[in-house]
Amino acid sequence: MDRGQGTKKRTLELASIATAIVIWEIVARIIDIKYILPSFTSVVSAFIGLVQDGELYRDIMTSLNYFVLGIGLAILVGIPIGTMMGWFKSIDRAVDPIIEMIRPIPPLAWIPFAILWFGLNKYAAGFVIFVGAVFPILINTYTGFKNTPKVLVESGKVLGCVKNKDIILRIALPSALPSIATGIRVGMGVGWMCVVAAEIFGVSTYGIGRKIWFWNDLHHMDMVLTYMLVLGMIALIIDRAFRYLVQVWWLKWQSGVVV
Amino acid sequence: MLLINDINKTYHSEEGDEVLALSDINLEMKDKEFVCFIGPSGCGKTTLLRIIAGLEKPDSGTIILHDEPIKGPGPDRGMVFQEYSLFPWRTVLKNITFSLEMKKVPKSQREDTARQYLELVGLSKFADSYPHELSGGMKQRVAIARALVNDPKVLLMDEPFGAVDAQTRNRLQQELLKIWERDKKTLLFITHSVDEAVYLADRVVVFTSRPGRIKEIFKIDLPRPRDRTSVDANVLRERLLSSLGAEMKNTID
Amino acid sequence: MIKPQKIFIIAIVIGLVLLSGCTAPPEEEEETTGFGELRFGYQPSTHQIAYMTADAKGWWLEDLESYGVTSTKDFLFPTGSPEMKAMLAGEIDVAYVGATPPLSAIDQGLDAKIVAGAQVQGSDLVLATALPYESPQDLKGLKIATFPPGTLQDTVLRKWLMDNDIDPKEDLTILGMGGADAKTALASGNVDAVFLPHPSPTIIESEGTGRVIVQSGEMWEDHACCVVLVTDALIRDHPELVEQIVRTHIRATEYNIEHPEEAAQIFADDIGVSYEIANKSIHDWDGTWVTDPSIELNTTLEYASVQYDLGYTDKLLTQDDLFDLSFYNKIMAEMVEE
Repeated sequence: MDRGQGTKKRTLELASIATAIVIWEIVARIIDIKYILPSFTSVVSAFIGLVQDGELYRDIMTSLNYFVLGIGLAILVGIPIGTMMGWFKSIDRAVDPIIEMIRPIPPLAWIPFAILWFGLNKYAAGFVIFVGAVFPILINTYTGFKNTPKVLVESGKVLGCVKNKDIILRIALPSALPSIATGIRVGMGVGWMCVVAAEIFGVSTYGIGRKIWFWNDLHHMDMVLTYMLVLGMIALIIDRAFRYLVQVWWLKWQSGVVV
Repeated sequence: MLLINDINKTYHSEEGDEVLALSDINLEMKDKEFVCFIGPSGCGKTTLLRIIAGLEKPDSGTIILHDEPIKGPGPDRGMVFQEYSLFPWRTVLKNITFSLEMKKVPKSQREDTARQYLELVGLSKFADSYPHELSGGMKQRVAIARALVNDPKVLLMDEPFGAVDAQTRNRLQQELLKIWERDKKTLLFITHSVDEAVYLADRVVVFTSRPGRIKEIFKIDLPRPRDRTSVDANVLRERLLSSLGAEMKNTID
Repeated sequence: MIKPQKIFIIAIVIGLVLLSGCTAPPEEEEETTGFGELRFGYQPSTHQIAYMTADAKGWWLEDLESYGVTSTKDFLFPTGSPEMKAMLAGEIDVAYVGATPPLSAIDQGLDAKIVAGAQVQGSDLVLATALPYESPQDLKGLKIATFPPGTLQDTVLRKWLMDNDIDPKEDLTILGMGGADAKTALASGNVDAVFLPHPSPTIIESEGTGRVIVQSGEMWEDHACCVVLVTDALIRDHPELVEQIVRTHIRATEYNIEHPEEAAQIFADDIGVSYEIANKSIHDWDGTWVTDPSIELNTTLEYASVQYDLGYTDKLLTQDDLFDLSFYNKIMAEMVEE
């Protein structure tokens, strides 16, 4: 029964994707100007070519390198600051105005300073991704800590967990984890979007975003579209993998809560 | 011996209003005594319990447990909260071992001890379950085991069975009495139910509403195991209800 | 089983597609009666002063009015790449552009031809002041900024590096960007060298952040640089207009060659640099203004071959794909007759 439902759902999903592809191909053939809308078949053959000569692999690894750098830093900075702000009222009051002033600035606006501070290298790209990812992580960590149920903190105190450090690490942190996981997930989404922008200014000859601009400069719109789809697919894979890991390893104690 | 001496507590609301929550509370509890607090909502009985637990400080007065004044939370007092208070990220067993971890008891030893208490509350099968997999009554049984594993002298319970259905509640009361008779802790139990108080307690303390004062103390010297439907129990319930009834009226006025 | 709703949705989508298909080629319609507005694309380089001179002196409108042109409009592009994108999108009719950006665009479906030459050579490799230079090998490991992939500068630089046994992908980093960004990157130390068309090298030298080490004529003698590109639609529908565009271009180019100081002034006014810089740039550069497209033919075909090898174009482009020499040749034949 359950399995039957699943198969049916899967069939519907595949049918929907197949329909979209067929329509895309038909539209592309009707328009028949390859730089206006490259056809599905041309994108597939471009994709196969890129996989075969290993170019795509190198691009993906380059972009992931920036991404890991940016997200890693965002986690290292966002969680501790979010924790401090969520737990200590005075720190919240002191830091919050600064955060609220910087937060609305679009990450891409940091590109000029990223270049000046870090140079044209992966750290500049990582920094732009960091700026995109850090605030969702910070804010969600903050919310998670702030919403730690009082009864859990008091239970802990009664059970001998009285030092601030112990309460934070053993009670507030695990209690905030679902919220932190949401923050990381949102942060990774925003961070990945910054990858394309971070690569415009050309810190390397490789990278998915870089290749979008490279082929755009050469008007190879089939390549541009191929890299765009790769960008989307990787975002999807990262998101699904993270959700899976979180549910299986990290937050299996949660009942039916979708991060 | 638990001594409550001249406890006063005032709350300050954000608008600057002052609410006198507890006024001149004096009470002496013998070891291994089962005492119920009963009174209208907002009479300060929970506040008193929290002061005994060390979660709040009184404005004046002292609590003395076995000649030691209470300054904050400590392992000599266990507490079961009204709300479900298990750590949702820990399994049942790990919830119970929490206080032992804090005391740095070695892992195998603390798990053995925890399993004994899990056995005591009849939930051995659920050692590796997470709290969300348990019913409300089971959660409170785990919370009791978690409070007991620390071997406290006093067990403080704030309406622990308030959120479970009547049938489960009766069963939990029986189980609690069984545990109390076995372990002979001093037990301080807040309830709204006259029936519960008469069934469980050695003494019942009735509180007045705002300011919270001790109005009357009833000694329940019914033989154990008690019969809920006995004539004596009925008489006690009537007396308690009328004492309380006057209080309820006052709150409404 | 396909549900009825689904069929309905698909029908709507296909309907929309067919509708858009029917309305797709509107381009020529407005061009049938008279001509209207003629749209030019150009870049802020001394290479393309011919356009600016004809514009400043009002020659475009003066010469083209009788062919139905009621006004002209121009768009300034930082590099040839966006300029070609604009032509692909049907936004410009005539482009002053490097010889290579049209290659990938034509390869990908742009219908346009080179009808006249504009200039040869004229770009310099400028190295940060502090860095030593004796031979091309000194460039290994450096970051060089130049125009984006497929532009003339990118192509000439890569070929020169390869001629000197330097792998442009592995031995150093070439970063594609516009001229202003490249100048900033050099000044802030984010790149070690830039390869840019004039007047950028002169500006950088005057600011003291770099020095010219190689001129593009040394890299590739008489390499084609800028050309005049017009759309096939214009050639097909208004050949006499195209012929006049070439004539006016020749007129302006000859005027510039005879009056370089005035050309510098026109450039300075158009782009917003000082007259001194413009004048010095025109004196220092190794470029030459030309008009004959056949001067640029051979190197352009070599570029096509290089770009094909680099995978920038899907096919090897030929003279017929890229050039229409007929207008220039016709004008020259008439001049000889006279």
